[in-house]
Amino acid sequence: MNTDKNEPVIQVRGLTKSYGDFAAVKGIDFEVRAGEVFGLLGPNGAGKTTTVEILEGLRSRTGGQVSVLGFDPGSQSRQLKDRIGVCLQSTNLQEKITIREAMDLFADFYTQTVDSDELLMRLALWEKRDAPYGELSGGQKQRVALALALLNDPQMLFLDEPSAGLDPQARLEIHALVGDLRREQRSILLTTHYIEEAEKLCDRVAIIDEGRIVAMGTPGEIQAGVLSQSVIEIRCEEGLPGGDGPCWRDAGSPVFSADRRKLTVQTSHPARTLVDLVKWIEERGIEPSDIRLKRPTLEDAFIELTGKTLRE
Amino acid sequence: MRPYIALTRIDIKLAMRDRSVLFFNYLFPLIFFFVFSGIMGTARNGGIENVVTMVLAIGILGNGLWGAGMRAVQEREQGILRRFKVTPITPAPLLFASMVTGWLIYLPSVLLVCTLAHFFYGLAIPDRWFSTFVMITLGVVAFRSIGLILASIVNSTQESTITIQLLYMPMLFLSGATIPVRLLPDWAQAAGQFMPATYLVAGLQSVLMRSEPLSSNGPAILALAVTVILGTFISVKIFRWEKDEKMQPEAKLWLLAVLSPFLLLGFYRAFTS
Repeated sequence: MNTDKNEPVIQVRGLTKSYGDFAAVKGIDFEVRAGEVFGLLGPNGAGKTTTVEILEGLRSRTGGQVSVLGFDPGSQSRQLKDRIGVCLQSTNLQEKITIREAMDLFADFYTQTVDSDELLMRLALWEKRDAPYGELSGGQKQRVALALALLNDPQMLFLDEPSAGLDPQARLEIHALVGDLRREQRSILLTTHYIEEAEKLCDRVAIIDEGRIVAMGTPGEIQAGVLSQSVIEIRCEEGLPGGDGPCWRDAGSPVFSADRRKLTVQTSHPARTLVDLVKWIEERGIEPSDIRLKRPTLEDAFIELTGKTLRE
Repeated sequence: MRPYIALTRIDIKLAMRDRSVLFFNYLFPLIFFFVFSGIMGTARNGGIENVVTMVLAIGILGNGLWGAGMRAVQEREQGILRRFKVTPITPAPLLFASMVTGWLIYLPSVLLVCTLAHFFYGLAIPDRWFSTFVMITLGVVAFRSIGLILASIVNSTQESTITIQLLYMPMLFLSGATIPVRLLPDWAQAAGQFMPATYLVAGLQSVLMRSEPLSSNGPAILALAVTVILGTFISVKIFRWEKDEKMQPEAKLWLLAVLSPFLLLGFYRAFTS
């Protein structure tokens, strides 16, 4: 498997997709490098599923250039599908097919496959191998979807909302599995509208809104690039002295609680402001009992960039 | 060839686990068999052959229109076809598997009905058993082609039920499959000439009741064969993997294309009789 981090496995240039007069994707550019987990983050209807389905060879594009593993998904979709693994939203298998039968069936669709028994053991499905698909829980069905996506030992995996609709336990299991795939240096493109999923799993993220990419980078870079400020919250054993307090460097005006035991300050340079704050409190002979620093989250960045929450 | 074999194998396994498939393929024909035998009587010459012909024709109609038509729509609505769409297969092995499975699960029903007819009512082993087999095979494959086209042109299970009923009911009653054609009024007999089921029933009667060779059913066999070819070609062409890919209303005209051999035959008979 190619693990050269600099070599793009997906290249997208000026991609557009329209349905009649409605433009779902309005000219987007990005690259996914070999071995990286790249996340497309956006609310429902942002255009992320359309984008991914174009890359998977499931939908035609209106304009732009796309290459996945060197194939054009528009004209070489069969060769491409033989090499990629896809975990789609809202798919199913027949209620009465057993997991082992499904694995055997799908194995016959590909030119190369891995040992399906090993895959079932790895995905904790071995015990359920003879169970009909209809009797599985949501989390188990999602693991089956992942097992089928890995059957052809793909270099490139597409995971569309891999944990949508799952309970927290099942979501954690899926996250752990994606973490394993990431350690195997497989290239993964995942779409999600869960901020924490993107922060936890992705090397890089593109925030997509109304068919356009509004920000791209590591979750840290995106967080750092927005105007949202860090918030420092300090609690003390006794009330702080009266007055508004001084204005510290790079910080906004301090806000005191009614009993003046809690002080909240917004800052663009949290480390510097924190030192100033603690020094100011100690100079007044007061002991801080709790200090908290809240960094802007990817969600804050998202709200700032799009003016929406992800659940909209 | 691997996807063709794999899909056919799993389709047969799943069909055997489906109670509705077992009911409609094996129990339903038995009900018709005993009801028709009781009502129509089997004592007179050709009585049991007529009953067997009717039961086989009803089975083929149901297997094709309901079996192939409904199942494909349900699999599309449930997102099962969408899962296949992300693999490197084309629609061809899916359609092939549906065709072969329908045929294979129907053959035991033929054997069952003929065996019961033999032991209960003395049905002789058909002189033209191979012709009978060919006619049944052609019938199943032709009606499954029509079923698959229906599945492709409708947008939901509900629409599918209505469309299938619109074809199934007239064919059931005007083709001779349930009511002997000679008992029908002239207008109904004329309408029946436009329906594929009429040619299937006539073909089965010819080989089973009158022991005529296939060659004496040239137009019917040709029409059924053209249906198979047109149906298979069009099914592949207009196949839809996802329920979101809606079919435009004008696409329903594809059904007319696959029924065109029978429309031509109907007009031919209307103008030459």
